[in-house]
Amino acid sequence: MAKSLIVIEHGPSGLKRSSLHPMTFARQVGDSYALLLLGHRLDALAPTLQSYDATSVLLADHPALAEPLADRYAAVIAEVACKESAQTVIASSSTFSKDVLPRVAALFEAPMVSDVLAVENIDGVSTYKRATHAGSMLANVRVTSDRCVLTIRPTSFAMPAPSSSLSPIEKLPVDETSLPKGMQFISREERVSDRPDLSDARVVVSGGRPLKDTETFERLVGGLADVLGGAVGATRAAVDCGMVPNDYQIGQTGKIVAPELYIGIGISGAIQHLAGIKDSRVIVAINKDPEAPIFQMATYGLVGDLHQLVPELIEALRRA
Amino acid sequence: MDFSWSDQQRELLDAVGRFGREQLNYDVIAHDRDAIFNHDAWKKCGEFGIPGLLVPADFGGLGQDALTTVGALERLGYTCKDNGLLFSINAHMWTAVIPVLSHGNESQKRKFLPGLCNGTLIGGNAMSEPNSGSDAFNLGTTAVRKGDKYILNGSKIFVTNAPIADVLVVFATVDKSRGAEGISAFLVEKGAPGFDPSHRIKKMGIRTAPMSEVFFENCEVPAENLLGKEGAGSWLFTRSMTWERGCILASAVGAMQRLLETCIRYANERKQGGHSIGKYQQVATKIVDMKMRVESARHMLYHCAWLTGQRKAVYLEAAMTKLHISDAWVKCAEDAIQIHGGYGYMIEYEVERELRDAIGSKLYSGTSEIQRNIIASLLGL
Amino acid sequence: MPLAKILVAFKSVPDPADAGMSSHDIASKFVINPFDEIAIEEALRMRERGDVAEVAGVTIGPAAVDEQIRAAMAMGVDRVIRVDDSRALDPYAISRILCSLVGREQPSFVIMGKQAVDDDSNQVGQMLAGLLDWPQATFVSKIEFLDNYSRACCTRETDSGLEVIEVSLPAVITTDLRLNEPRYVSLPGLMKARRKTIEVATCEQLGITVQPLTVILSTARPPKRPAGTRVDSIADLVARLKNDAKVL
Repeated sequence: MAKSLIVIEHGPSGLKRSSLHPMTFARQVGDSYALLLLGHRLDALAPTLQSYDATSVLLADHPALAEPLADRYAAVIAEVACKESAQTVIASSSTFSKDVLPRVAALFEAPMVSDVLAVENIDGVSTYKRATHAGSMLANVRVTSDRCVLTIRPTSFAMPAPSSSLSPIEKLPVDETSLPKGMQFISREERVSDRPDLSDARVVVSGGRPLKDTETFERLVGGLADVLGGAVGATRAAVDCGMVPNDYQIGQTGKIVAPELYIGIGISGAIQHLAGIKDSRVIVAINKDPEAPIFQMATYGLVGDLHQLVPELIEALRRA
Repeated sequence: MDFSWSDQQRELLDAVGRFGREQLNYDVIAHDRDAIFNHDAWKKCGEFGIPGLLVPADFGGLGQDALTTVGALERLGYTCKDNGLLFSINAHMWTAVIPVLSHGNESQKRKFLPGLCNGTLIGGNAMSEPNSGSDAFNLGTTAVRKGDKYILNGSKIFVTNAPIADVLVVFATVDKSRGAEGISAFLVEKGAPGFDPSHRIKKMGIRTAPMSEVFFENCEVPAENLLGKEGAGSWLFTRSMTWERGCILASAVGAMQRLLETCIRYANERKQGGHSIGKYQQVATKIVDMKMRVESARHMLYHCAWLTGQRKAVYLEAAMTKLHISDAWVKCAEDAIQIHGGYGYMIEYEVERELRDAIGSKLYSGTSEIQRNIIASLLGL
Repeated sequence: MPLAKILVAFKSVPDPADAGMSSHDIASKFVINPFDEIAIEEALRMRERGDVAEVAGVTIGPAAVDEQIRAAMAMGVDRVIRVDDSRALDPYAISRILCSLVGREQPSFVIMGKQAVDDDSNQVGQMLAGLLDWPQATFVSKIEFLDNYSRACCTRETDSGLEVIEVSLPAVITTDLRLNEPRYVSLPGLMKARRKTIEVATCEQLGITVQPLTVILSTARPPKRPAGTRVDSIADLVARLKNDAKVL
């Protein structure tokens, strides 16, 4: 029995590291936690999860769960949460958890707080801090029921430190006949990349519409990212005009990043994009418009023509 | 005296503001440089309902009053930087829509108003001639009745929308000896034999509004296209010109508001001598005076439109409104350049274009001098 | 057989064009939540294509939101139900209200934006689907009907790219940015909307009682990042990144 049930995410390249960060959150509030991994053929992934002081590592392993269909996953998660007598179900913010966890909340009959940035115990009650209005406001939120569902922003909580003790693995029985059947997985774009994931890269290089086309974007933004070993991101405008795929989008309705170094190329700094980068340690902006809003947030701002400056930067970094 | 908009008016004005902000925010610099009329934007304005604001719903319009209409045009001027497009729309509304609405017979109204209201038909009027500008009724263009047609001969200049117009209200004299009493109005449609609107005029400002010199060479106009009675032309012209004077600079009030906000922003951001230039009295005073002009222009605009809605004769107020707003617009644009310094002189900053666009307002719809003459005579001088 | 009715849920939010300047206290201008506008647009296109007969809208709020309701009607929504409630409701309460309304209206599916741009929670659609025990398709950028309108094929935008799923109807669909570009409200549409009626319902009439279970204790502006510096060359930038920021 654990106070919290943490749902771990995995993909083609294994466990998603950022999905482990909720454990740091749980440790901070002093709650015991069990980890839940859903999918198919999970045996290879489970052992890694044993070294994090979880009360148990629960596996819901079944072919019917091979794809993260929200109706099936939510049904299983809610059932496990009830069986564990958990009071909280937690996951790291991602499109997976955004899709599944609210549905869990409805089945679990609990309210949900999304994308928690910090938690504080005030008078014995947890108070959660989260961003609203595209990150231009911070709200302190309290839940007035016993149960709740939470997603936490992975960049706000560190990777949990592993421990030497081993948590037990428990394989849960999955009754396929009771699973909802209204949703069917058809296909997914599989793009293989050597580059790190946007959500946990140390360096993020991002580009906007002025890059004009996919070739230029790849050459300049991609080129700069590669020389720094970083991930590539983009503004909504760049995705909208087809220059880059949707999963590059950083911002209020895309991904939130908080790298050590963020470099924005040809990005004016619409508030919706800034919402996705404001926790970066160092922000560099390269733009030809000296009045671009991003310069108000940038640690270092360079005004000029990106077509000239970026190749120069790539070259300088290569030599450094 | 209730100076506030009603909920319904506010809703309409907000819709206009949003439309202008989202749909009419294209690059005007290139269009201005190459004198390109934005057909797409015109079409959107037509579908949105602007040209038909004043026309009753029966004829495809929105049945709004004058005050709501100028409020909408002001909002459009605030959100859309293409003063030329707005000038085209205004010319269409005051010089084509109003005459057809006020003086057209049932069949003319049915034929032209729906298209004029939704922008599928573009209209304008042709009054000024090379030898008669301020001397408006001294027309040389003649119209002679021949069977079931009128034959028009002569030329007109400064005809807004002529190169793209589907129909123009053309003023011609059927009897020079009767002077103003001989002037009649005709609806000349595109493609009429002997009608040549192709000689484009290159202008200092509002360059995106197409304008040309128009030639009538034995131009054939069907008799049913006579607008109003023979000889009623000068009355029709005066009537539509009064509307025009009161309303044509509504969008200019919006443009001035935009200029004011641009200048305030710039004055706060631009730093010289260790602080923002807005702290210098010489800059601040210019902006204060701008604010005064915008407010007084707005009040005159609304008051004149309100009086129109009350069915009062507004010859005096319309002339005053036109005179005041045009003077204010030019002065605001000039000061805006001065406040921006060298940057105000650069095409890229779009401030110099405002002055070029504004200067025309002291010339069209009756020059500032003519407005003063009208006001003087109405004051009994 | 085309679908009889779809229900579009939408919310009034402070105009994001004012974003950065608005807070709970400042009465800013309100608009239809941009993501919900996309949902409305998609529903209207479905009706125009003949996939759906009626597009009904629902929103929860006080009389002040009638302005946004008329905007939705001006776009073309046939009828709108406003559930009269002026409390600060959380997504769970909202989804329970919508659930009871769905029970009354019996639509073939429910569509709404994926998140409200004021609250940014991204929960209501999914919660509603859970309460109804309906399939869900979230962050959708494309919808196609299959099998004589018994299923919908949806493309979803996820962290790893595009994903395609099929859901049997009825279902709850939430819309992402790139699904469509909403039409703007035209003045003729606005005039037509004035002749349409807004139906007002209360939670009592719907037979439910809800209380928000999340409470906002306080709000504040986030701390501003300290102002940075302009550099004037690549060499300068690289030196600072290396020596000052120590990030290289």
